[in-house]
Amino acid sequence: MVFNTLQFLVFFMVVTLWFFRLQNQRARAALLLIASCYFYMARIPEYILVLGGIIVVDYIAGIQIEKSEGSTRKFWFFLSLLVNIGTLATFKYYNFFIDNIQTTFHFFGRHVSFPALKMALPIGLSFHTFQAMSYTIEVYRKNQKAEHSFLNYALYVMFYPQLVAGPIERPQNILHQLRDYRPYNWDNVKAGLARMAWGFFKKVVVADRLAMAVDRTYLHTSESSSLSIFIGALFYSFQIYCDFSGYCDIAIGAAKVMNINLMENFDQPYWSKNVTTFWRKWHISLSGWFYDYLFNPLVLALRNNGKTAILIGLLFTFFISGFWHGAGWRFVVFGLLHGLALVFEYFTRKSRQKLFKGMPPTLSAITGISATFAFTMLAWVFFRAENMHNALEYLKALFAFRGGSHYVGMNRVELVFSFALIVITVGREKYKPSNLIINDTLFYTYMLTMFAICYYFGVFIENQFIYFQF
Amino acid sequence: MLKKIVRDFCIVFGLVALYASTSRNAMQYLSDKRDRNAWWGTYQCPHGDLISMSYLDFIGSFLLPEDKTRIHPPPYNGRRKTVLFLQGDSYSWHMNDTDFCGLVDYKHIPRRTKLNYQLDTTRTNILLLEIAEREVRNYLSTQSIFEEIIDSANSPKPTISKVVGQHPVYMAGAIPALTTDLLFNPYINQNLQFNLFNYQFIMPIFQSKAALNYYAFSRASGDVVISDDKNYLFLKETVSYTDAGSSYIPIPDAEIEKLTVNLNIIYEYYIKSGFTEVYLAIIPNSATIVQPKGYNNFIPRLQQAVSLKMKVIDSYSFFKSADHEYCYHGDSHWNYWAKQNWLALVNKELVKY
Repeated sequence: MVFNTLQFLVFFMVVTLWFFRLQNQRARAALLLIASCYFYMARIPEYILVLGGIIVVDYIAGIQIEKSEGSTRKFWFFLSLLVNIGTLATFKYYNFFIDNIQTTFHFFGRHVSFPALKMALPIGLSFHTFQAMSYTIEVYRKNQKAEHSFLNYALYVMFYPQLVAGPIERPQNILHQLRDYRPYNWDNVKAGLARMAWGFFKKVVVADRLAMAVDRTYLHTSESSSLSIFIGALFYSFQIYCDFSGYCDIAIGAAKVMNINLMENFDQPYWSKNVTTFWRKWHISLSGWFYDYLFNPLVLALRNNGKTAILIGLLFTFFISGFWHGAGWRFVVFGLLHGLALVFEYFTRKSRQKLFKGMPPTLSAITGISATFAFTMLAWVFFRAENMHNALEYLKALFAFRGGSHYVGMNRVELVFSFALIVITVGREKYKPSNLIINDTLFYTYMLTMFAICYYFGVFIENQFIYFQF
Repeated sequence: MLKKIVRDFCIVFGLVALYASTSRNAMQYLSDKRDRNAWWGTYQCPHGDLISMSYLDFIGSFLLPEDKTRIHPPPYNGRRKTVLFLQGDSYSWHMNDTDFCGLVDYKHIPRRTKLNYQLDTTRTNILLLEIAEREVRNYLSTQSIFEEIIDSANSPKPTISKVVGQHPVYMAGAIPALTTDLLFNPYINQNLQFNLFNYQFIMPIFQSKAALNYYAFSRASGDVVISDDKNYLFLKETVSYTDAGSSYIPIPDAEIEKLTVNLNIIYEYYIKSGFTEVYLAIIPNSATIVQPKGYNNFIPRLQQAVSLKMKVIDSYSFFKSADHEYCYHGDSHWNYWAKQNWLALVNKELVKY
């Protein structure tokens, strides 16, 4: 189920009201689990069996890891990792691997053929497998006790607000909240609903509007002028931000209404003064996951190699991070570009500090923010394009400084309006980061205004969230 | 206490809305019962389906002019020995046996409904597949037709290959298909929209949004797109660059070849089942005729495929070269003139038998 649909709004109303109607936490957990199954199955019902299989294995593995030692403990840990990574590899990467193997053999004049798997990727697979792995890793590291209630564990993986696109929660943050009775709290309801309204605004008013221009420039790259290509690239930077952070706002808000706090996933990333900071503010839950479970152990293992360990750690982590986003070389390039930027920043930290020291603080901030934004904007081209060829064509068109069609899929009024929306969104989050809800009257006014704005200025096409595909 | 009553009412209301919008029977019942003339009735613009979808009934250029053309039965005094099986969509609704020449019997099979046939071999049995251009790639690359036009003798059905897009396919046997029709309906959002908001008295709100989009942003809302010359409305799926039914989406030659193979399989199956002849009649998208710049030439490429065995009713060439309006400005369908001429093309074939 997609958040920006009527089905979700009705579903959310029923589930939330029913949740507060129940006085028993077990009953509430059961309700949320059933609701989450319905939420997940609304797209491709059959895939609930895949998700169910992962949950059962990880639930048993968690308990076994906790109560065993030595090789048995390792066995269950690696079994859990194998099932999660294996499922991900099968559904998401199998075709990519066999394509590349076949191409490599073909290059050397040999022809091999493997059967391709014709199937859709289960929605949000990368998210819930990572959340499930987070649990077994934490239990293995003895940072978290195994969850003995199957109901609670299943809900930890399947909790519908964050089931398909995160935030990728750690068990320490969420499991106890799902276990404990969460009393009704009107302030949380207001804060949650206001947060959801802001998320809907970012999705249907900003992201889906910018998508019209982005889609147009990516589809008509060859005939578009460099200016329209630039607008397309610029808009995509904000489209993906408003799309994904809008999703997170709705997810965090929906949980907040039920008095459950999910972690923040964004912290105004486009105000970052360097790429390293950008990754501390963009998709925080995924960056944190990779930092804790991949980068840190890797650097620790290679610590005798000095700075090379950092270099290898960064490049490998971002290689995997790019690959996590999708089975394609363009995602790998996207990850490696960011990895190289972080390596560059790590090795030039002192000289950059020296350089910026001589500048007025405002100028150094503007320089840093602009350079970081320009880099991320260009890197997003690999993320958005259909394939490597299209990405390179797009970048070539951008730097050709050529003429051509300036039309970007919207008239001038809408183009100016889109720029205004970007300024409003970024400005509102920068200068009014907390929600505006102080009293009930203001809350109702805010909600009615947001409802009217979302309705009148929303672009209601059946656009799913970009990150759902991962 | 009042809060609790409101809360419980909202829960029940939400559940009923979800159920009613999921169940096909409930939707049928509700749409039959809704009175279109009452203030709480459904909104259906008399000037065209695309106007209804976009709420642009305040723009004069999209409104239907009074169409004085009437469908006249063809003059025919010859022998009547043909049975015509016409599988079609909304284009062939309201057609009847008097519109065709030489028929002794006429069976209209709305697409996505079933007909078990048993042919009278003493007659000439013609199968005519009328299909809108936007449906061809998806429909004729699936097995659906064999589940809809069914030989009562149950001759074994051949397999045709899927050639369009990335459709969800499950690992055969590895993941069992679940029967979930009671809980899920792919059209639930459209159904909820119909049940919760499609009321005459709410229309001014929808129209005000349509006016905002039209006057400020020069576009229509949702699934409708305004033509380049601003005179026509098109279904978005027929003009987008991503939908399979679009007139402008690039179609590789390999796909035309695969579709040709599929059409030949369909042809051979029904000929073997006893049909005298099988015809394919693709009705062009409005955009194909009205806004031909950038057309992917899907219809001529498919119809002119050398290996295609199925006979074609080539209305595309006729409408393209005719100096007459082909469709209504605010409707996805052809006008009476086009319908009359399409019938003439069909009858030209039927009189041969």
